[in-house]
Amino acid sequence: MMNLDMGLDPQSNMSLSEKLGQISWSLVLLITAVACIGFAMLYSAANGNFDPWATRQIMRFAVGAVIMLVVALIDIRIWLKFSYFLYGIAFFLLIVVEVMGHVGMGAQRWIDLGFMQLQPSELMKVTLVMALARYFHGASLEDTGRITFLIPALIMIVAPVCLVLLQPNLGTSLMLLMVSGAIFWLVGVRLWKFALVIGGVLAAIPVIWHFMHDYQRNRVNTFLNPENDPLGHGYHIMQSKIALGSGGMFGKGFLMGSQSHLNFLPEKQTDFIFTMLAEEMGMVGALVFLALYTLLLVYGYVIAMRCRHQYGRLVAMGLTVNLFLYMFINIAMVMGLIPVVGVPLPLISYGGSSALTVMTGFGLLLCVHVHRDVRMSRRGMSDF
Amino acid sequence: MSDAPFSLTGFDIAGMERIQAPRPEGRVRLNNPTSHALEQGRSRLLVTAALFALVLGAIGVRLADTMVFSREAEPPVAENTTARPLPVTRAEITDRNGVLLATSLATASAYADPKLVIDAEEAARKLVATLPDLDYRQVLKDLKGEKRFVWIKRNLTPRQEFEVNKLGIPGVFFQQEEHRIYPQGSLTAHLIGLTGIDNNGLMGIEQSFDKRLRENSEPLRLSIDVRLQHIMRKEITQSIQDFNAIGGAGLIMDIKTGEILSMVSLPDFDPQNPGEMHDDSKFNRATLGVYEMGSVFKILNTAIALETGSVKLHETFETNHPLKIGRFTIHDDEPVNYWMDVVDIFRKSSNIGSAKMAEKFGIDVQRDYMGRFGMLKAPSLEIPEVGAPLVPNPWRQTTLLTVAFGHGISVSPIQMVSAVGAVVDGGILRPATLLKRDPNTEIPETRVISPQTSAILRKLMRLVVTEGTGKTAFGTGDLKAPDTLDYLVGGKTGTAEKVSGKGYAHKSLRTSFAGAFPMTDPRYVVFVMVDEPHGNKKSFGFATAGWVAAPAVQRIVWQAAPLLGVKPVVRNDPEVLQAMAIN
Repeated sequence: MMNLDMGLDPQSNMSLSEKLGQISWSLVLLITAVACIGFAMLYSAANGNFDPWATRQIMRFAVGAVIMLVVALIDIRIWLKFSYFLYGIAFFLLIVVEVMGHVGMGAQRWIDLGFMQLQPSELMKVTLVMALARYFHGASLEDTGRITFLIPALIMIVAPVCLVLLQPNLGTSLMLLMVSGAIFWLVGVRLWKFALVIGGVLAAIPVIWHFMHDYQRNRVNTFLNPENDPLGHGYHIMQSKIALGSGGMFGKGFLMGSQSHLNFLPEKQTDFIFTMLAEEMGMVGALVFLALYTLLLVYGYVIAMRCRHQYGRLVAMGLTVNLFLYMFINIAMVMGLIPVVGVPLPLISYGGSSALTVMTGFGLLLCVHVHRDVRMSRRGMSDF
Repeated sequence: MSDAPFSLTGFDIAGMERIQAPRPEGRVRLNNPTSHALEQGRSRLLVTAALFALVLGAIGVRLADTMVFSREAEPPVAENTTARPLPVTRAEITDRNGVLLATSLATASAYADPKLVIDAEEAARKLVATLPDLDYRQVLKDLKGEKRFVWIKRNLTPRQEFEVNKLGIPGVFFQQEEHRIYPQGSLTAHLIGLTGIDNNGLMGIEQSFDKRLRENSEPLRLSIDVRLQHIMRKEITQSIQDFNAIGGAGLIMDIKTGEILSMVSLPDFDPQNPGEMHDDSKFNRATLGVYEMGSVFKILNTAIALETGSVKLHETFETNHPLKIGRFTIHDDEPVNYWMDVVDIFRKSSNIGSAKMAEKFGIDVQRDYMGRFGMLKAPSLEIPEVGAPLVPNPWRQTTLLTVAFGHGISVSPIQMVSAVGAVVDGGILRPATLLKRDPNTEIPETRVISPQTSAILRKLMRLVVTEGTGKTAFGTGDLKAPDTLDYLVGGKTGTAEKVSGKGYAHKSLRTSFAGAFPMTDPRYVVFVMVDEPHGNKKSFGFATAGWVAAPAVQRIVWQAAPLLGVKPVVRNDPEVLQAMAIN
């Protein structure tokens, strides 16, 4: 109890080895297991070759895993201290990409760093969570009840969302909004305020429809009636559903999915990889996979519950919601539950930028778990 | 909060307890201003969890629903379709699985006898109101004309026919007509051919089976599989595009029955729009065109040499000097400075070596065997567009040497496919057919070479793919990896210089690849020819068969094999390696 009196709780000055012992290795194992399923699917997507996808994905995962562990071991108070700073960098990059980014697939989303393509909107998904968690860290219910207190946070959300919308990237901006909404919900913003905002958005839909790009309108139309244009805009979703249906109970077997291997299924290595998994492994395989993913979410959720400070809890919960949204949007999309939006399936889909941010996110999650009992003042410093 | 969730999810409880001991009591912090917020957050966390669970559950249910309960699976192959009796005269043509390739549609055409029309203006107004794409003035002019017969509109839909009939205009009549429809478009253009305005066959199956299609309304079932046809057409089109070629042809044959499963000639045409057809697109390169096949012929040359016993497998030949015949000199693409044996000559596709092998068995034997392989006369096939080979006459010593590597004799791809089929299938030649064979009928068989020679040739053809001129195309993936799957293709590349004027054009090539799979027990022969390809960046400027035709065959086999029910095997499985080893 001496420690307590001095305001130094036992976790304040853990040695590196103690921290290593505190890392939830079972979560690391689970992440690796899910990633391995991804490698297998990429191997299959290339018709039984490690080239061109599986090898690179494995290398990226290895790099990502190192980053994840480093992020996990850094003291959470340092992350808290630098939350706004990191948010600022991501915001700055979003402006940079708007001004001089690389235009790809009809949208301006990338910064070419020479060795890799950076997608600042992906960075924003993590740093926005950190910044909001920092803002609400130590805020009381009275604080969150005041609208004036919420305004700076709203600005923090709306500014990057607008920039991402300009790229244009509707999917990511919606994800940013939903994650922020979840954080507002968790810090106890009154329900009527949510009702107000949702009502406002519903009222604005006709206006938004007016400003939407043709391709975005097509996607919504296609969602509402995919059979309308089976060879054009409805092609993706029709083929995806055929692939799911032909998977049946136990699937066609590894490397045997004819929809995917005969190139009927588009983007099978990225956005539609779950369809391929379902075709080859069947409903049973897909459900097992879903269960593993759910377990990942449970881990995130429990880490949030278990955390004794608001910052860690909000970061953990924000990242979990993020992961949940990724998974939900991707899987719901390939099953035709929601319109086609280009959202990858984390740890499975082939891709660099999102893989790194996802791994950083898991690193922060682990970090929250390692430092779950650290005591922080409202200012975010330890209680001296 | 309790630790229960941790034991559930397998967190390291031991580590947890180490820290729990000195942990401060949670309640102490109740006075903390943030604690209320924490409590509130906790209940909202629970709601969030419930939402998560709800959505995940919904996804699971939907997944089960799409995958098992209301499945939108691939349409089942229509194995036993009996065509619906339609009031048409010309029979349908289907592929081997019953997929419709050509059908007839009964339509009605409206015509008028102006003499019988009472009020031309009213009639014209009513007709234009019903058929809005008609021009009122034109119709009126027609109806007021002196002729006793004017077309109003041809090929009405049943709905339009009904509407026009309902108008009840005296003097307007209907003529029943029949329209030939090709649902697969240009996919089987050269094979099916087309019909003329009077619905008589002008090309392809439509021409050769004209009488049968008119007299017997049973659908005519071809040996073609549209799925393979689609793959073949797609991949050759791709090669033509990639290498800026002028055309191509491809064939897949089931060598156990002689059935042609795919036959593509590009460029092709839309049988529905014969007006846009050019001479070049009308020409069937797969059966009508005869070509010098180049090195693909070394399959036959080597088979003859080994079959007659005039050459031993490991006998070496002086391949380090170009071979002079009269005013020609035979070169190798990749000259070597040593004597190669038959295995190396085949693997590296040595022209010099092949010519020297032919010298050993001589003109008479060569001509005799070429005849047995069906190279000297036009094959019998069920379409009119069959080309007769250009057979050397007289057959001189020079001919002997050039035929050894596929020059000086021109044959059609269909002949080549049958001959290669005979070589790999134990030496038995079966005539190619475009009709689906009744499993109960006898298939005529001719033995050309012995099973022993066939077995050696299979190994040699496999060697070309694993270590020879076909390696670039089929060496995909990690070759050394113990689990790389493979369809065990074997074959031979052929890059022939096209004849232009009196000599050979060195820059304009015709590349081909004749392959079969799986080489342990060959069932299918695949042949692809690409005419005048030009090297591109990906092929490092090469336009040879190893870079053009062989990759196309690789892509085709990798897509076709699953449809044909051929399972891939582990490429480096010791048993496979043993079976393909050359002793």
